[in-house]
Amino acid sequence: MSEPVLELDDVRVVFKRGRGHTVTAMDGISFRIAAGETLGLVGESGSGKTTTGAVALGLRRPTSGTVRFLGAAQGRRRPRGARAGAVQAVLQNPHWSLNPRLAVADSVAEPLAAVEAGRLRTHHPAALRILDQVGLPASFAQRLPHELSGGQRQRVAIARALITRPSFIVFDEAVSALDVSVQAHILNLIHDLQTEHRFAALFISHDLAAVRYLAHRVAVMRTGQIVELADAHRFYTAPRHPYSRQLLETL
Amino acid sequence: MKATAVRVRRALAMRSGDGLLRGAVWVLLALVLATLVGQLTGAGGRPDAIVGPRLQPPGSGWLLGTDNLGRSLLPRLLQGIGTTLLLSTLAVACTAVISTALGVVAGYRGGRTAELILRIGDVLYSFPAIVLAVLVAAVLGPGRTTALAAIVLVTVPLMTRMVGVAARAVARREFVTAARISGVSAPTIMLRHILPNVAGTVAVQGTYALSVGILVEGGLSFLGYGVQLPDASLGLLIQEGGLYMVGAPWLIVAPGVVLVAAIMAINLVGDSLRDRFEPRETRSLV
Amino acid sequence: MTVGTPPLLVIDDVVTEYRTATRVVRALDGASLTAGRGETVGIVGESGSGKSTLGLLTGRLLPSGTRCPRGRVLVDGESVLDLPPDRLARLRRERLAFVPQDPIGALDPTLRIGRQLRLALRDTPADLAALLEQVRIRDPEHVLRLYPHQISGGMAQRVAVAMAMARKPALLIADEPTAALDSQVREEVLRLLFTLAAENGTTVLWLSHDLGGVARWCARIAVMYGGRVVEDGTTAEVLSAPQHPYTGALLAADPARAKGGTRLLTIGGTPPVLSDDPQGCVFAPRCDSAGEDCPAVRPAPRTVAGRTVLCHHPGGTPETVPARKESAR
Repeated sequence: MSEPVLELDDVRVVFKRGRGHTVTAMDGISFRIAAGETLGLVGESGSGKTTTGAVALGLRRPTSGTVRFLGAAQGRRRPRGARAGAVQAVLQNPHWSLNPRLAVADSVAEPLAAVEAGRLRTHHPAALRILDQVGLPASFAQRLPHELSGGQRQRVAIARALITRPSFIVFDEAVSALDVSVQAHILNLIHDLQTEHRFAALFISHDLAAVRYLAHRVAVMRTGQIVELADAHRFYTAPRHPYSRQLLETL
Repeated sequence: MKATAVRVRRALAMRSGDGLLRGAVWVLLALVLATLVGQLTGAGGRPDAIVGPRLQPPGSGWLLGTDNLGRSLLPRLLQGIGTTLLLSTLAVACTAVISTALGVVAGYRGGRTAELILRIGDVLYSFPAIVLAVLVAAVLGPGRTTALAAIVLVTVPLMTRMVGVAARAVARREFVTAARISGVSAPTIMLRHILPNVAGTVAVQGTYALSVGILVEGGLSFLGYGVQLPDASLGLLIQEGGLYMVGAPWLIVAPGVVLVAAIMAINLVGDSLRDRFEPRETRSLV
Repeated sequence: MTVGTPPLLVIDDVVTEYRTATRVVRALDGASLTAGRGETVGIVGESGSGKSTLGLLTGRLLPSGTRCPRGRVLVDGESVLDLPPDRLARLRRERLAFVPQDPIGALDPTLRIGRQLRLALRDTPADLAALLEQVRIRDPEHVLRLYPHQISGGMAQRVAVAMAMARKPALLIADEPTAALDSQVREEVLRLLFTLAAENGTTVLWLSHDLGGVARWCARIAVMYGGRVVEDGTTAEVLSAPQHPYTGALLAADPARAKGGTRLLTIGGTPPVLSDDPQGCVFAPRCDSAGEDCPAVRPAPRTVAGRTVLCHHPGGTPETVPARKESAR
C-alpha cells in the first residue's frame, strides 16, 4: 500500500469544561487514509467525529498523539500555514458554506489566492475551469450565493475545495441537508472527482447510506472511540460491533 | 368582501409605517438644510447681532423671539443645530471606526482578546452616560473636544458589543472556517468575510449612537461642560432658555422641539434600517 | 381504510397559490389525498413539491396572501376552508395536532417547558409529569423546570410529540419532525410518535424525505411532485414496484437503496415552479419514459396495480446503467 496521506496515531483530545471538569472528545484514535481513498466516519452527534475532522484539518491540536500529513508530523507552531492548499474541506450547511456577499467566482478563487498570492480576480480563469468540472457553466460566476439552490451552492463549495488540487479533503456532513435527488448528484460528483483527482477523503456523516455509497472503509465512532473500523463491504454486510449493528438497523 | 377590507387595512398600515419613515427622513433633511442655508446665506440675521428689546415673544423682526440680550433666537438656533449635528456626527464617525475595528477583532479572535475588549466595554457601559461625560470634562476641561471625546466614550461600548456579537456569529459560519482551512490570512478573513457581513449592524448601531450623541452633547452643554458661549448648540440654548422659562417660554420650546424631533427622526430611520438588514441575520442566529 | 366509515381527511383537487406583489407561485396544483382513521401516510417529495403546503392546508395554517381558488378539504366531515374562525379554532384544538420540523424553534424561548405545556393544554386537565414520562423522558419534574435552550433537540422533539399527543388528536401532521436529529434519536422519536398514534387511533401524515423511514413506519405512501400527489398506494408495493416514473427516479437516487458498485441514478433538470395551469404532465421534461402525449395532455388519476397514479405511461422504469468500475471502489 502506498504512503498514507493522513495518519492519526493514538490521538487524544480532552476539553476542559469549567472547574476540573473534562470531556474526552477523542480517546486513542488511530487511522490512516491513502491517496484516492475515502474513509467514512459515522457516529451520533457528540461521538467525537466533528473533533476528529477538526484535528485532521489541523484546526485543533491534539492533547496527545501524533498527526502525520504526507509523512511529516504536524508542527507545534502554525500547523495550518504549511499545509495551505493541500488540505481543503466541504462543510455541512449549504446555506452558510459561502460568503453571502462574495460572487461565486471570488469564493472559488479564494483558496488559490491564499496559496499563490495575488488578487481574487487574477485567479478567475482557474475558478471558471473548476466550476465547469463541477457542472456549473460560466454564467454562474458572477452570481451571489442567494441566487443559487442548495445543490448548486454545495457544488461551488466543492469547486472551491478542489481548486488548489489538494491531496486531502474533509467532507463534513456535506450532503446531509440536501434533497434525495440533489444528494445523488453531489455524491456522484464527489465520486467522479475523486477518481480523477485521486485525493484522499474523510467523509463524515450520520447518513450511513451516503457513506456506503462513497467510502472504501468505514470507521464508527462512539463516545470518543472508534468501535469498529472495517472495509466498507464487510462493514455493511457483516458488522461486528453491536453498536454498528444497531446503527445499521435503521438503514 | 371581508378579504377586501382586510387588504385595505393592511395597505393602510403599510402606508402609515412608510409615511412615518418618510417623515423622519424629511425632518432630518430639513434640519441639515436649515443649518446650511442659515450658515451660508446668513438668513435670519447674524447670531450675535442685537436686533431688538430683550425677551420679546416671536414677532416680525425676530421670528422666534429674542433672548436675554436682545439677540434673535432664529439664527442662534440654526447655528446651534449645526454645531450639535456636526459634533455628534463627527463623534459617531469616530465611534463607528473604533467599534467596528474592535468588534470585528473581538468577534473573530474570540477567547481572551474578546473577553478583554468586551469587559472594558462593560465597565464603561456601567457608568451612566452623563457621569462619564462629566468625568471627561473634568480631565480635559470644557469645550468642543470634550464633548466629542465624551460622545465617543459613551457610544463606543454598546456599539463594540453589538458589532462584536454580530462578528462572532459570522465568524462561526462555515465559510469562515473554510477560509481558515484554505490558509487565508486572518486580516484578509476579517476584511473580506467578516466586515461586509456586519456592515448592516454598523449602520443600524450608528444611527442609534447618533441619537445618543446628540443627547450627550445637549446634556454636557446644558451642564456647562460642552460647547461654550458665545457659540450656540442645542444643549446650550436649552440651558439658557431654562433660566427664563416662566417669562419667555419660547426660548426653551424652540430648541427643545428641534432636539426631540431630531432624536425621534434618527431613531425611526435606525429602526427601519434594522428591519431592512437584520430580519435575515437575527433569524439565522438561533 | 375501513369500508363503511367516512374517511377522516379528504383533500380533493386543491389548488393553492402564494401571492406576492410581483408574482404568483402555485404550490398545490390539484392535489388530492384521502386518509382513513388510524391510517399512517408518509408524504414524500423534493423541497418545493408542495408537501409542506399540503400539511399546513389541513389546518388552514397557510400564511396570509395565500389563496385556494379550487378544491376542498374535509376533516371529519367539516370543510376546513369554509369554517368560521371560532369553529376552525375548535377544530385545530380538538382534532388536529402538529409536530414541527424545528422543535426548539417552535417552543417559546422565554417560557419554561412546564408552563408551555400548561398553556398548550389550557382546558385539558393533565398530569404534565406523566405526559413527559409517556414520551420516555427521565426525571420529568426536572425537565418541566427547564427552558427550551437547555434541552437537546431530541428532548425538545419528544416534548413536542407529548404536546401534540396530549389531546389525543384525530389527525397528526408531522413536518419532517426528525430531519435535524441523529439517526438513533430519530428512530426513537419516530417509534414514540407512531406507537402513541396507534394507541390513540390517530391518523398520521408524515411529511418526509426519508424513504427508508416511511417504509418502516407508514402503511401508505403518497409521492408528491409539482404540487400534485402523483402516486399513492401501499408503501411496500409502491417502493418495490413504483408505477410513476418520478417515484422510480426518486428510489434510484436514494443511496440507501443503491446496490453496491452501481452508480446513483439522478434526475436531470430541476423541479418546476408553477404560476398557473400547466400544460400536460409537469414531470415530462425530466422523464425518461415520456411520450408525445405527455407534454400536451394533463394526466388524470388512474388506478394501476391497486394504487392511484398520475401518469400516461405508468410502469415505465428508467433503464439501468452499467455497473461502476471495480477499481473505483
